[in-house]
Amino acid sequence: MKRTAEEKLLNPEPGSKIAAAKEFGIDLTLLVENFRLTPEQRLEKLQQAMNSFEELRTELENHHLKKNDRRKTGDYADGESFG
Amino acid sequence: MIDVKRAITLMASHSVDFVVIGGVALSLYSSAYVTYDIDFCFSRHRDNLRRISEALAPFNPRLRGFPKDLPFIWDEGSLSHGSVFTLETYIGEIDLLTEVTGLGVYADVLNESVTFDLFGFVVNVLSIDGLIRAKNASGREKDIPGLRILEAIREASLDEEDEY
Repeated sequence: MKRTAEEKLLNPEPGSKIAAAKEFGIDLTLLVENFRLTPEQRLEKLQQAMNSFEELRTELENHHLKKNDRRKTGDYADGESFG
Repeated sequence: MIDVKRAITLMASHSVDFVVIGGVALSLYSSAYVTYDIDFCFSRHRDNLRRISEALAPFNPRLRGFPKDLPFIWDEGSLSHGSVFTLETYIGEIDLLTEVTGLGVYADVLNESVTFDLFGFVVNVLSIDGLIRAKNASGREKDIPGLRILEAIREASLDEEDEY
């Protein structure tokens, strides 16, 4: 009985490369999700992931900048502490 | 952060001879690996260098990590004098390579590639086997997760064998 790529990824055979990837820590459900997409959709998803990380990075940078500015000026919000 | 669609369509619409390698190629094969640049292996043929130069010129390519005030001339002459260019451009980070460790120069990489229909163009992308060979040859620790993913994808894609 032949198994689809999705079935193989969701139920890897012991000793297989798929099982090795799972043991290594690769989330195979993400591969399954992407298998269902067209190549262009996979690139769109990649771009969305990049955009999200970039937004998060920018927010963290701005947060650190504001925090440093407040440290310099002593303008802390009530109850805020710097750990 | 690279604009993937724009980078690919830019190269393809200028008829550049290139192969998509690296993290974007992994994504095309279903990897959830997130990369921030795009890697192209390119032909060093003189006409191709001119096409690359023209394609990227409007996006102010500069070498990443170099001082902003350091003069850098972007033209086919500059491209002919190097084998690896790690560029920052207005559309993001683009790495251009004339050869790939474990595979060889552009012609070898092209032989190891398959085609994808992307954004209205037929685009050469390094095959899963080619990516595995390149990652094995690189010997870099950071490539190990990608290698595991590719091996799993290759195994999952094999559909001829009876599994039981």
